[in-house]
Amino acid sequence: MKAVFYTADTLPWAETLGNTPWPLLPVANRPLLDYWLEACAEQGIGRVQVILGEGAKQVEDFAGDGRRWGVEIQYSFARTSEQPLDYLKSTSDRWTNGLFFIGGPFFLRRRNAFTPAGFKELDACRYGSDGNTLFLFGKNSDEVKALLDGDPGSRRGLEQIHVQPYVVDGLSAYFTLNMKMVAGEFSRYLTAGFSDADKSSVGYNVLTPPSAQLRAPVIIGNDCRFGAMTTIGGMAVIGDHVIVDSNTELSNCLILSDTYIGQNLEIRRKIVSGNRLVDPADGTSIEIEDSWVVAHNRPEMRTEDLVRYAILWCLAFGVASVQLLPFCILYPLVRLTRIAGYRREKFHDPLTGYVKLPVFHKFENRKSVVYRLFRACALDRFPWLLLALRGRLFVCGQPPMRHPEDDSIVKQLPHYFPAVFSYADYCKESDLLVDSLWYAHIRSLFEDVKILIKSLLYRFFRAGK
Amino acid sequence: MVVTCSKEHGIGVVQVSHALTAATVDTFREQLSNWQSAEPSVKNYVIDLKQVDFMDSAGLGTLIAVLKRITERGGDMKIACLQKKPRLVFEITRAYKVFEIYDSVAEALKMFS
Repeated sequence: MKAVFYTADTLPWAETLGNTPWPLLPVANRPLLDYWLEACAEQGIGRVQVILGEGAKQVEDFAGDGRRWGVEIQYSFARTSEQPLDYLKSTSDRWTNGLFFIGGPFFLRRRNAFTPAGFKELDACRYGSDGNTLFLFGKNSDEVKALLDGDPGSRRGLEQIHVQPYVVDGLSAYFTLNMKMVAGEFSRYLTAGFSDADKSSVGYNVLTPPSAQLRAPVIIGNDCRFGAMTTIGGMAVIGDHVIVDSNTELSNCLILSDTYIGQNLEIRRKIVSGNRLVDPADGTSIEIEDSWVVAHNRPEMRTEDLVRYAILWCLAFGVASVQLLPFCILYPLVRLTRIAGYRREKFHDPLTGYVKLPVFHKFENRKSVVYRLFRACALDRFPWLLLALRGRLFVCGQPPMRHPEDDSIVKQLPHYFPAVFSYADYCKESDLLVDSLWYAHIRSLFEDVKILIKSLLYRFFRAGK
Repeated sequence: MVVTCSKEHGIGVVQVSHALTAATVDTFREQLSNWQSAEPSVKNYVIDLKQVDFMDSAGLGTLIAVLKRITERGGDMKIACLQKKPRLVFEITRAYKVFEIYDSVAEALKMFS
């Protein structure tokens, strides 16, 4: 079976919310496209075709080649003269093993009884709105052909597998869907590393002062900052990198990513996206130019990231400078004694997919003072430190994941920070997945400096054992 | 920015047109102040915002300053015909707790009587 997602249509209501293409609009902080690709993965659909329109680059940047979901994504552009169904008909020979088509802002809302296995029993069905086909599912060429020729398909439709079709046909529907999710449904879509404890979901690197109140149910994204005396929730969906200033109350609202909310505000039953304030009830929106009321945060490198990068780069530079001379002296000795050396191994890389890194290996199982001294001074990581200084690795973070041994772990990591030093350097009982998830959860400058110092000290006092 | 002031049943009705923003608040304040000087007997005011399609925090701040000045003189101020977009600003800044807001000028005038 193949899947086709038609994202070329423009939706005026989605444009109200800013420059995010509608397939990437978040539902409970996950893009709509993420849910579709997840559904494909659950059904065992390996090949997905995404038909692009405006915002093509953003969609492609997000989905990539689909490896994250275990699918293979191909991209194509829509012809302006061709309707999606015409395209599907003209390429009907490609749907011999079935077709899973989504042609608009369509959400597969799971009921409690839903199981991914149910898709295998799903009969051919289709849904549409205003003459457009938004969803179409057929398991073989005959079913697909009948649906494309206008057959309405199964009466039970998606309800057969306990999925309720939800058409996001406007701001009100979009807001309502998010509110339904935060009210409790989001727990049905949790991915690895998340929990719905206390009817809430709080992302990584969220700072809350003691006087701030988080009231369930609430969904909060990553890298958020809340000021003193703020009240967040109930029924609030807060995106990534949202800053809420002091004495502000947010409830029954949807705050999209990269938004600043000023002091002493009260936001109820609203959508805020950057400096746009939207009333979902009637679609009224205004762009506020006072940057101290609501504003758009810079989505590029954030101040804190920049500070963290600068400080850690300086620390790494300091460590590498100290290591340079001992490395130049000891490494030739290590090579002369033939006890150890570097071998290039393949690791996962967040930018390029894979990268070969030099890994220090002991070749012979015998005692050697030079070898222990080399490791005690963490000189085995010297080449990685140089890579960190070039920006190819993080200084502190998660251990680089090997390919293919650690493929399953990488798939479960929402954020991957391959680094020179990690918890594994000083925790004997380290579990790669748990530690990696934990690091992503509490990532901060303090944590990074702690990892760096502890790693160096542990190795030194353990004398390279 | 055009500010039209008139007197109805001894109450000042101030009609404001276009946006009330940082660029226009000085004109608004000046024209209102001139009219207040010419009509010292008027204590109560209705600000008609039917034609105000946009307002920023400077506009809101000016309205609060005007309200403060009027109440210091023993009068009161009400807002009428607040349009949808400025209403959003009133809602998020909690300004609706500060002002009495009515759907029409007639309704606001009635509340004074």
